Amino acid sequence: MSPVRTIAVGYDGSLGARTAARWALDLAVQLDAQVVLVHARGMLGRTDEERLLADLAESALALATATGLDPAKTRWHVSQGDPCSALLRAGAPPISADLIVVGSRGHRNDAGLPLGSTSHQLAEHSAVPLVIVPTPVAGSEGAT
Amino acid sequence: MTKLIVGGPLAAPEHQRAGHPERPSRVEAAMAGVDDLHLGSDLEAVVGTPATLEQLSRVHSSAYLSELGAFCRSGGGDLDPDTYATPASFDAARAAVGAGLAAVDALAAAGEGVAFVAARPPGHHAPGDRAMGFCLLNNIAVAAAELVARGERVLIVDWDVHHGNGTQEVFWDDPSVLFVSTHQWPLYPGTGAATEVGGPHALGLTVNVPLDPGSTGDSVRAGLDELAAPAIDAFDPTWVLVSAGFDAHRADPMADLALSSGDFADLALVVRDLAPRPGRLALFLEGGYDLEAVRGSVGAVLGALLGVRRAVEQPTSGSGAASVARAVAERAAVLARLSDAGRTTGTGP
Repeated sequence: MSPVRTIAVGYDGSLGARTAARWALDLAVQLDAQVVLVHARGMLGRTDEERLLADLAESALALATATGLDPAKTRWHVSQGDPCSALLRAGAPPISADLIVVGSRGHRNDAGLPLGSTSHQLAEHSAVPLVIVPTPVAGSEGAT
Repeated sequence: MTKLIVGGPLAAPEHQRAGHPERPSRVEAAMAGVDDLHLGSDLEAVVGTPATLEQLSRVHSSAYLSELGAFCRSGGGDLDPDTYATPASFDAARAAVGAGLAAVDALAAAGEGVAFVAARPPGHHAPGDRAMGFCLLNNIAVAAAELVARGERVLIVDWDVHHGNGTQEVFWDDPSVLFVSTHQWPLYPGTGAATEVGGPHALGLTVNVPLDPGSTGDSVRAGLDELAAPAIDAFDPTWVLVSAGFDAHRADPMADLALSSGDFADLALVVRDLAPRPGRLALFLEGGYDLEAVRGSVGAVLGALLGVRRAVEQPTSGSGAASVARAVAERAAVLARLSDAGRTTGTGP
Protein backbone atom coordinates (compact mmCIF):
# COMPACT_ATOMS: atom_id res chain seq x y z
CA MET A 1 0.00 0.00 0.00
CA SER A 2 1.27 3.46 -0.84
CA PRO A 3 2.36 5.52 2.14
CA VAL A 4 0.55 8.45 0.55
CA ARG A 5 -3.13 8.23 1.42
CA THR A 6 -4.06 11.91 1.50
CA ILE A 7 -2.67 14.68 -0.68
CA ALA A 8 -3.33 18.31 0.29
CA VAL A 9 -3.21 20.87 -2.50
CA GLY A 10 -2.97 24.59 -1.94
CA TYR A 11 -5.78 26.07 -3.98
CA ASP A 12 -6.56 29.68 -4.70
CA GLY A 13 -8.06 29.23 -8.17
CA SER A 14 -4.96 30.60 -9.91
CA LEU A 15 -3.27 29.00 -12.89
CA GLY A 16 -0.51 27.72 -10.62
CA ALA A 17 -3.03 26.17 -8.23
CA ARG A 18 -5.00 24.51 -11.02
CA THR A 19 -1.81 23.06 -12.47
CA ALA A 20 -0.75 21.74 -9.09
CA ALA A 21 -4.20 20.27 -8.48
CA ARG A 22 -4.20 18.43 -11.78
CA TRP A 23 -0.75 17.00 -11.01
CA ALA A 24 -1.93 15.91 -7.58
CA LEU A 25 -5.08 14.32 -8.95
CA ASP A 26 -3.12 12.37 -11.56
CA LEU A 27 -0.88 11.09 -8.79
CA ALA A 28 -3.87 10.27 -6.62
CA VAL A 29 -5.34 8.11 -9.40
CA GLN A 30 -2.12 6.11 -9.53
CA LEU A 31 -1.84 5.79 -5.75
CA ASP A 32 -5.55 5.38 -5.01
CA ALA A 33 -5.20 8.33 -2.65
CA GLN A 34 -7.63 11.10 -1.80
CA VAL A 35 -7.09 14.77 -2.59
CA VAL A 36 -8.03 17.71 -0.38
CA LEU A 37 -8.07 21.15 -1.98
CA VAL A 38 -7.07 23.57 0.79
CA HIS A 39 -8.10 27.18 0.50
CA ALA A 40 -6.90 29.79 3.00
CA ARG A 41 -9.60 32.27 3.81
CA GLY A 42 -7.36 35.13 4.92
CA MET A 43 -8.49 38.26 6.73
CA LEU A 44 -10.50 39.70 3.88
CA GLY A 45 -12.36 36.57 2.87
CA ARG A 46 -15.54 36.92 4.85
CA THR A 47 -17.49 39.03 2.41
CA ASP A 48 -17.59 36.56 -0.49
CA GLU A 49 -17.64 33.26 1.34
CA GLU A 50 -20.65 31.76 -0.43
CA ARG A 51 -19.10 32.36 -3.83
CA LEU A 52 -15.80 30.98 -2.61
CA LEU A 53 -17.34 27.76 -1.37
CA ALA A 54 -19.29 27.31 -4.57
CA ASP A 55 -16.14 27.84 -6.64
CA LEU A 56 -14.19 25.36 -4.56
CA ALA A 57 -16.84 22.67 -4.84
CA GLU A 58 -17.17 23.19 -8.57
CA SER A 59 -13.42 23.20 -9.11
CA ALA A 60 -12.90 20.05 -7.08
CA LEU A 61 -15.58 18.17 -9.01
CA ALA A 62 -14.36 19.41 -12.38
CA LEU A 63 -10.76 18.49 -11.66
CA ALA A 64 -11.73 15.04 -10.42
CA THR A 65 -13.83 14.40 -13.50
CA ALA A 66 -11.06 15.55 -15.78
CA THR A 67 -8.50 13.21 -14.24
CA GLY A 68 -10.72 10.20 -13.65
CA LEU A 69 -10.40 10.19 -9.88
CA ASP A 70 -13.42 8.97 -7.96
CA PRO A 71 -15.22 12.22 -6.98
CA ALA A 72 -15.76 10.72 -3.54
CA LYS A 73 -12.00 10.90 -3.08
CA THR A 74 -11.86 14.63 -3.74
CA ARG A 75 -12.91 17.20 -1.21
CA TRP A 76 -12.15 20.77 -0.28
CA HIS A 77 -11.28 22.46 2.97
CA VAL A 78 -11.46 26.14 3.85
CA SER A 79 -8.85 27.06 6.43
CA GLN A 80 -8.35 30.14 8.53
CA GLY A 81 -5.11 31.95 7.98
CA ASP A 82 -2.66 32.77 5.25
CA PRO A 83 -1.88 30.08 2.67
CA CYS A 84 1.44 29.12 4.22
CA SER A 85 0.02 28.69 7.71
CA ALA A 86 -2.98 26.78 6.40
CA LEU A 87 -0.82 24.32 4.49
CA LEU A 88 1.64 23.89 7.33
CA ARG A 89 -1.33 22.68 9.39
CA ALA A 90 -2.50 20.29 6.67
CA GLY A 91 -0.34 17.48 8.04
CA ALA A 92 -2.41 17.47 11.22
CA PRO A 93 -6.08 16.54 11.63
CA PRO A 94 -8.61 17.05 10.21
CA ILE A 95 -6.73 16.81 6.91
CA SER A 96 -3.81 14.61 8.01
CA ALA A 97 -2.06 14.95 4.68
CA ASP A 98 0.89 12.70 3.82
CA LEU A 99 1.94 14.97 0.97
CA ILE A 100 1.48 18.66 0.20
CA VAL A 101 1.37 19.93 -3.37
CA VAL A 102 1.51 23.59 -4.36
CA GLY A 103 2.07 25.58 -7.49
CA SER A 104 5.22 27.61 -7.77
CA ARG A 105 3.12 30.75 -8.27
CA GLY A 106 -0.28 31.58 -6.82
CA HIS A 107 -2.48 34.64 -7.17
CA ARG A 108 -0.04 36.83 -5.34
CA ASN A 109 2.61 38.79 -7.10
CA ASP A 110 5.52 36.92 -5.54
CA ALA A 111 7.91 36.85 -8.45
CA GLY A 112 10.02 39.49 -6.77
CA LEU A 113 9.68 38.20 -3.24
CA PRO A 114 11.04 34.67 -3.04
CA LEU A 115 11.36 34.68 0.73
CA GLY A 116 7.73 35.57 1.13
CA SER A 117 6.29 33.08 -1.31
CA THR A 118 4.13 30.26 -0.06
CA SER A 119 6.13 27.56 -1.81
CA HIS A 120 9.45 28.74 -0.43
CA GLN A 121 8.08 29.14 3.08
CA LEU A 122 6.66 25.64 2.92
CA ALA A 123 9.93 24.22 1.67
CA GLU A 124 11.60 25.67 4.73
CA HIS A 125 9.05 24.77 7.37
CA SER A 126 6.88 21.85 6.26
CA ALA A 127 7.12 18.64 8.27
CA VAL A 128 5.27 16.83 5.50
CA PRO A 129 6.86 15.95 2.13
CA LEU A 130 6.25 18.73 -0.35
CA VAL A 131 5.98 18.90 -4.13
CA ILE A 132 6.22 22.27 -5.90
CA VAL A 133 4.71 22.09 -9.38
CA PRO A 134 6.07 24.64 -11.88
CA THR A 135 3.45 27.09 -13.02
CA PRO A 136 3.20 27.25 -16.82
CA VAL A 137 3.43 30.53 -18.62
CA ALA A 138 0.01 32.19 -18.71
CA GLY A 139 -1.86 31.13 -21.83
CA SER A 140 -0.15 27.76 -22.15
CA GLU A 141 -2.37 25.98 -19.61
CA GLY A 142 -3.23 22.52 -20.78
CA ALA A 143 -0.39 22.38 -23.30
CA THR A 144 1.27 19.62 -21.35
CA MET B 1 -3.34 64.24 35.59
CA THR B 2 -1.18 61.42 34.21
CA LYS B 3 0.74 62.30 31.09
CA LEU B 4 0.09 60.74 27.68
CA ILE B 5 2.95 60.20 25.26
CA VAL B 6 1.76 59.57 21.70
CA GLY B 7 4.09 57.74 19.35
CA GLY B 8 3.35 59.42 16.05
CA PRO B 9 0.73 60.04 14.92
CA LEU B 10 1.72 58.43 11.65
CA ALA B 11 -1.28 57.85 9.38
CA ALA B 12 1.10 56.93 6.53
CA PRO B 13 -1.00 58.02 3.55
CA GLU B 14 1.78 56.77 1.29
CA HIS B 15 0.89 53.24 2.37
CA GLN B 16 -2.69 52.63 1.30
CA ARG B 17 -4.76 50.87 -1.33
CA ALA B 18 -8.21 51.91 -2.48
CA GLY B 19 -10.93 49.92 -0.74
CA HIS B 20 -8.60 48.17 1.70
CA PRO B 21 -9.83 48.34 5.32
CA GLU B 22 -6.34 48.96 6.76
CA ARG B 23 -6.21 52.64 5.86
CA PRO B 24 -4.88 55.99 7.09
CA SER B 25 -8.23 57.08 8.49
CA ARG B 26 -7.82 54.47 11.22
CA VAL B 27 -5.01 56.49 12.77
CA GLU B 28 -7.00 59.68 12.27
CA ALA B 29 -9.91 58.08 14.14
CA ALA B 30 -7.58 56.98 16.93
CA MET B 31 -6.24 60.51 17.25
CA ALA B 32 -9.79 61.87 17.30
CA GLY B 33 -10.26 59.66 20.34
CA VAL B 34 -7.17 61.24 21.89
CA ASP B 35 -8.38 64.73 21.03
CA ASP B 36 -11.72 64.01 22.71
CA LEU B 37 -9.83 63.91 26.02
CA HIS B 38 -8.64 67.55 25.73
CA LEU B 39 -5.32 66.77 27.36
CA GLY B 40 -3.63 70.05 26.56
CA SER B 41 -0.10 70.18 27.92
CA ASP B 42 -0.44 66.66 29.31
CA LEU B 43 -0.09 65.35 25.77
CA GLU B 44 3.35 64.90 24.22
CA ALA B 45 3.85 63.57 20.70
CA VAL B 46 7.10 61.90 19.64
CA VAL B 47 7.69 60.72 16.10
CA GLY B 48 11.24 59.46 16.45
CA THR B 49 13.24 58.26 13.50
CA PRO B 50 12.68 55.24 11.28
CA ALA B 51 13.87 52.06 12.93
CA THR B 52 17.38 51.05 11.92
CA LEU B 53 18.17 47.72 10.36
CA GLU B 54 20.01 46.82 13.55
CA GLN B 55 16.89 47.45 15.61
CA LEU B 56 14.67 45.57 13.17
CA SER B 57 17.10 42.66 13.04
CA ARG B 58 16.33 41.81 16.64
CA VAL B 59 13.02 40.50 15.31
CA HIS B 60 13.22 40.18 11.53
CA SER B 61 15.73 38.23 9.47
CA SER B 62 18.11 40.36 7.47
CA ALA B 63 17.12 38.38 4.39
CA TYR B 64 13.46 39.33 4.85
CA LEU B 65 14.29 42.97 5.45
CA SER B 66 16.41 43.05 2.32
CA GLU B 67 13.73 41.37 0.22
CA LEU B 68 10.92 43.55 1.55
CA GLY B 69 12.89 46.71 0.87
CA ALA B 70 13.71 45.57 -2.65
CA PHE B 71 10.10 44.52 -3.30
CA CYS B 72 8.84 47.96 -2.33
CA ARG B 73 11.50 49.78 -4.31
CA SER B 74 10.53 47.75 -7.37
CA GLY B 75 6.97 49.03 -7.13
CA GLY B 76 5.33 46.86 -4.48
CA GLY B 77 2.29 44.68 -4.99
CA ASP B 78 0.55 41.89 -3.13
CA LEU B 79 2.54 40.29 -0.33
CA ASP B 80 -0.23 37.83 0.42
CA PRO B 81 -3.96 37.76 -0.36
CA ASP B 82 -4.57 40.30 2.40
CA THR B 83 -1.40 42.35 2.51
CA TYR B 84 -0.16 44.93 0.07
CA ALA B 85 2.93 47.07 -0.30
CA THR B 86 3.45 50.32 -2.14
CA PRO B 87 6.80 51.77 -3.17
CA ALA B 88 6.79 53.69 0.13
CA SER B 89 5.57 50.90 2.41
CA PHE B 90 8.93 49.76 3.71
CA ASP B 91 9.80 53.27 4.81
CA ALA B 92 6.33 53.74 6.31
CA ALA B 93 6.66 50.51 8.26
CA ARG B 94 10.12 51.48 9.52
CA ALA B 95 8.72 54.82 10.62
CA ALA B 96 5.89 53.09 12.50
CA VAL B 97 8.39 50.89 14.32
CA GLY B 98 10.49 53.96 15.05
CA ALA B 99 7.52 55.79 16.55
CA GLY B 100 7.01 52.89 18.93
CA LEU B 101 10.63 52.88 19.96
CA ALA B 102 10.56 56.65 20.49
CA ALA B 103 7.42 56.42 22.60
CA VAL B 104 8.93 53.74 24.81
CA ASP B 105 12.12 55.78 25.20
CA ALA B 106 10.16 58.92 26.08
CA LEU B 107 8.10 57.01 28.59
CA ALA B 108 11.18 55.49 30.19
CA ALA B 109 12.73 58.93 30.44
CA ALA B 110 9.60 60.48 31.91
CA GLY B 111 9.14 57.73 34.47
CA GLU B 112 5.42 58.43 34.57
CA GLY B 113 2.36 58.38 32.38
CA VAL B 114 1.42 56.02 29.58
CA ALA B 115 2.29 55.79 25.89
CA PHE B 116 0.02 55.18 22.93
CA VAL B 117 1.57 54.45 19.54
CA ALA B 118 -0.79 55.75 16.86
CA ALA B 119 1.00 54.50 13.77
CA ARG B 120 0.41 52.15 10.88
CA PRO B 121 0.82 49.71 9.25
CA PRO B 122 0.08 47.46 12.22
CA GLY B 123 2.48 44.69 13.15
CA HIS B 124 1.34 41.81 15.32
CA HIS B 125 0.75 39.29 12.49
CA ALA B 126 4.26 39.68 11.08
CA PRO B 127 6.66 36.93 12.16
CA GLY B 128 10.37 37.36 11.68
CA ASP B 129 10.52 36.26 8.09
CA ARG B 130 7.39 37.40 6.25
CA ALA B 131 4.54 39.84 5.93
CA MET B 132 0.97 38.79 6.55
CA GLY B 133 -2.40 40.00 7.82
CA PHE B 134 -1.89 43.66 6.81
CA CYS B 135 1.43 43.68 8.73
CA LEU B 136 4.91 44.26 7.34
CA LEU B 137 7.12 44.80 10.39
CA ASN B 138 6.21 43.83 13.93
CA ASN B 139 6.13 47.16 15.78
CA ILE B 140 5.48 45.86 19.27
CA ALA B 141 7.92 42.98 18.93
CA VAL B 142 10.78 45.30 17.98
CA ALA B 143 9.97 47.53 20.96
CA ALA B 144 9.85 44.51 23.26
CA ALA B 145 13.12 43.18 21.87
CA GLU B 146 14.74 46.56 22.50
CA LEU B 147 13.59 46.44 26.11
CA VAL B 148 14.79 42.87 26.50
CA ALA B 149 18.19 43.94 25.20
CA ARG B 150 18.26 46.40 28.10
CA GLY B 151 17.60 43.60 30.57
CA GLU B 152 13.85 44.10 31.01
CA ARG B 153 11.18 41.41 31.39
CA VAL B 154 8.34 42.32 29.06
CA LEU B 155 4.69 41.32 29.25
CA ILE B 156 2.82 41.71 25.97
CA VAL B 157 -0.98 41.66 26.20
CA ASP B 158 -2.66 41.40 22.78
CA TRP B 159 -6.40 42.12 22.88
CA ASP B 160 -6.82 42.47 19.11
CA VAL B 161 -9.65 40.22 17.90
CA HIS B 162 -7.14 38.25 15.80
CA HIS B 163 -4.44 36.11 17.38
CA GLY B 164 -1.06 37.84 17.44
CA ASN B 165 0.67 35.00 15.68
CA GLY B 166 3.68 37.02 14.61
CA THR B 167 4.50 38.23 18.09
CA GLN B 168 3.94 34.77 19.52
CA GLU B 169 6.29 33.25 16.97
CA VAL B 170 9.01 35.82 17.60
CA PHE B 171 9.05 35.23 21.36
CA TRP B 172 7.96 31.58 21.39
CA ASP B 173 11.11 30.35 23.12
CA ASP B 174 12.24 33.59 24.79
CA PRO B 175 12.14 33.50 28.59
CA SER B 176 12.31 37.32 28.75
CA VAL B 177 8.88 37.88 27.20
CA LEU B 178 5.46 36.71 28.38
CA PHE B 179 2.91 36.84 25.56
CA VAL B 180 -0.82 36.85 26.34
CA SER B 181 -3.42 36.99 23.57
CA THR B 182 -7.22 37.13 23.77
CA HIS B 183 -8.89 36.57 20.42
CA GLN B 184 -11.86 35.16 18.61
CA TRP B 185 -11.47 31.53 17.57
CA PRO B 186 -11.78 30.18 15.00
CA LEU B 187 -10.68 33.22 13.04
CA TYR B 188 -7.71 34.46 11.09
CA PRO B 189 -4.85 33.53 11.29
CA GLY B 190 -5.93 30.14 12.67
CA THR B 191 -3.29 29.98 15.39
CA GLY B 192 -3.79 30.80 19.07
CA ALA B 193 -5.10 27.59 20.60
CA ALA B 194 -4.89 27.34 24.37
CA THR B 195 -2.54 24.42 23.86
CA GLU B 196 0.13 26.73 22.41
CA VAL B 197 2.10 27.47 25.56
CA GLY B 198 5.65 28.36 24.51
CA GLY B 199 8.91 26.66 23.60
CA PRO B 200 11.14 24.53 25.81
CA HIS B 201 13.00 27.53 27.22
CA ALA B 202 9.81 29.51 27.76
CA LEU B 203 7.28 26.89 28.72
CA GLY B 204 4.11 28.58 29.93
CA LEU B 205 5.17 32.01 28.69
CA THR B 206 2.68 31.96 25.86
CA VAL B 207 -0.90 32.29 27.06
CA ASN B 208 -3.75 32.07 24.57
CA VAL B 209 -7.37 32.82 25.37
CA PRO B 210 -9.44 31.72 22.36
CA LEU B 211 -12.99 33.02 22.60
CA ASP B 212 -16.19 31.88 20.92
CA PRO B 213 -17.81 34.25 18.42
CA GLY B 214 -20.22 36.53 20.24
CA SER B 215 -18.14 36.64 23.40
CA THR B 216 -18.68 39.68 25.58
CA GLY B 217 -16.28 41.66 27.70
CA ASP B 218 -16.71 39.58 30.82
CA SER B 219 -15.35 36.56 28.96
CA VAL B 220 -12.20 38.46 28.00
CA ARG B 221 -11.72 39.59 31.58
CA ALA B 222 -12.33 36.06 32.85
CA GLY B 223 -9.75 34.75 30.41
CA LEU B 224 -7.15 37.17 31.70
CA ASP B 225 -8.02 36.36 35.30
CA GLU B 226 -8.13 32.60 34.99
CA LEU B 227 -5.54 31.85 32.32
CA ALA B 228 -3.10 34.71 32.29
CA ALA B 229 -2.95 35.97 35.87
CA PRO B 230 -1.01 33.02 37.32
CA ALA B 231 1.61 33.24 34.58
CA ILE B 232 1.87 37.03 34.93
CA ASP B 233 2.30 36.83 38.70
CA ALA B 234 5.10 34.30 38.31
CA PHE B 235 6.76 36.26 35.49
CA ASP B 236 6.79 39.57 37.38
CA PRO B 237 7.16 41.90 34.38
CA THR B 238 9.15 45.11 34.45
CA TRP B 239 7.34 46.51 31.39
CA VAL B 240 3.86 46.00 29.93
CA LEU B 241 3.21 46.49 26.22
CA VAL B 242 -0.27 46.13 24.72
CA SER B 243 -1.23 45.19 21.18
CA ALA B 244 -4.32 47.38 21.30
CA GLY B 245 -6.52 46.38 18.43
CA PHE B 246 -10.10 47.54 18.56
CA ASP B 247 -11.64 45.04 16.16
CA ALA B 248 -13.13 43.05 19.04
CA HIS B 249 -15.66 45.89 19.26
CA ARG B 250 -19.20 44.77 18.42
CA ALA B 251 -19.39 47.27 15.54
CA ASP B 252 -16.28 46.03 13.76
CA PRO B 253 -16.92 44.48 10.34
CA MET B 254 -13.98 42.04 10.42
CA ALA B 255 -15.01 39.76 13.27
CA ASP B 256 -17.74 38.72 15.66
CA LEU B 257 -16.83 39.49 19.24
CA ALA B 258 -19.21 41.80 21.09
CA LEU B 259 -17.13 44.19 23.16
CA SER B 260 -17.98 47.83 23.84
CA SER B 261 -15.71 50.79 24.42
CA GLY B 262 -16.43 50.34 28.13
CA ASP B 263 -14.95 46.86 27.95
CA PHE B 264 -11.75 48.24 26.48
CA ALA B 265 -11.63 50.78 29.30
CA ASP B 266 -11.92 47.94 31.81
CA LEU B 267 -9.17 46.01 30.05
CA ALA B 268 -6.97 49.09 30.17
CA LEU B 269 -7.29 49.21 33.93
CA VAL B 270 -6.42 45.54 34.13
CA VAL B 271 -3.18 46.01 32.18
CA ARG B 272 -2.38 49.20 34.12
CA ASP B 273 -2.42 47.17 37.31
CA LEU B 274 -0.02 44.65 35.76
CA ALA B 275 2.67 47.28 35.25
CA PRO B 276 5.21 47.41 38.09
CA ARG B 277 5.05 51.18 38.37
CA PRO B 278 3.92 54.29 36.44
CA GLY B 279 5.74 54.89 33.19
CA ARG B 280 5.95 51.25 32.21
CA LEU B 281 2.81 50.81 30.09
CA ALA B 282 2.73 51.40 26.33
CA LEU B 283 -0.11 50.59 23.97
CA PHE B 284 0.33 49.99 20.23
CA LEU B 285 -2.51 50.40 17.74
CA GLU B 286 -3.11 47.17 15.86
CA GLY B 287 -6.46 46.38 14.17
CA GLY B 288 -9.83 48.11 14.36
CA TYR B 289 -11.76 48.92 11.20
CA ASP B 290 -14.93 50.70 12.31
CA LEU B 291 -13.78 54.28 12.65
CA GLU B 292 -16.33 55.37 15.25
CA ALA B 293 -15.58 52.29 17.34
CA VAL B 294 -11.85 53.04 17.13
CA ARG B 295 -12.41 56.65 18.16
CA GLY B 296 -14.68 55.77 21.05
CA SER B 297 -12.54 52.90 22.24
CA VAL B 298 -9.27 54.81 22.12
CA GLY B 299 -10.91 57.60 24.08
CA ALA B 300 -12.29 55.13 26.60
CA VAL B 301 -8.98 53.34 27.09
CA LEU B 302 -6.84 56.43 27.44
CA GLY B 303 -9.47 58.22 29.48
CA ALA B 304 -9.47 55.35 31.95
CA LEU B 305 -5.68 55.27 32.14
CA LEU B 306 -5.33 59.03 32.50
CA GLY B 307 -8.19 59.53 34.92
CA VAL B 308 -10.27 61.61 32.52
CA ARG B 309 -13.91 61.16 33.41
CA ARG B 310 -16.14 60.81 30.36
CA ALA B 311 -19.13 58.83 29.19
CA VAL B 312 -18.34 55.49 27.53
CA GLU B 313 -20.43 52.54 26.42
CA GLN B 314 -21.40 50.16 29.19
CA PRO B 315 -19.22 47.06 29.62
CA THR B 316 -20.85 43.93 28.22
CA SER B 317 -21.56 40.55 29.76
CA GLY B 318 -23.61 37.42 29.37
CA SER B 319 -21.88 35.31 26.73
CA GLY B 320 -20.99 32.64 29.24
CA ALA B 321 -17.73 31.11 30.37
CA ALA B 322 -17.59 27.98 28.24
CA SER B 323 -14.70 29.02 26.02
CA VAL B 324 -12.60 30.18 28.95
CA ALA B 325 -13.29 27.02 30.94
CA ARG B 326 -12.33 24.95 27.91
CA ALA B 327 -9.11 26.92 27.47
CA VAL B 328 -8.19 26.56 31.15
CA ALA B 329 -8.55 22.79 30.93
CA GLU B 330 -6.64 22.49 27.65
CA ARG B 331 -3.76 24.68 28.84
CA ALA B 332 -3.45 22.84 32.13
CA ALA B 333 -3.39 19.49 30.38
CA VAL B 334 -0.70 20.41 27.90
CA LEU B 335 1.45 22.14 30.52
CA ALA B 336 1.26 19.07 32.72
CA ARG B 337 2.21 16.82 29.84
CA LEU B 338 5.11 19.02 28.70
CA SER B 339 6.34 19.50 32.22
CA ASP B 340 6.40 15.74 32.75
CA ALA B 341 8.23 15.27 29.47
CA GLY B 342 10.74 17.93 30.48
CA ARG B 343 11.43 16.20 33.76
CA THR B 344 11.96 12.96 31.90
CA THR B 345 14.19 14.28 29.13
CA GLY B 346 15.81 17.21 30.85
CA THR B 347 14.68 19.64 28.16
CA GLY B 348 12.10 21.47 30.23
CA PRO B 349 12.58 24.75 32.08
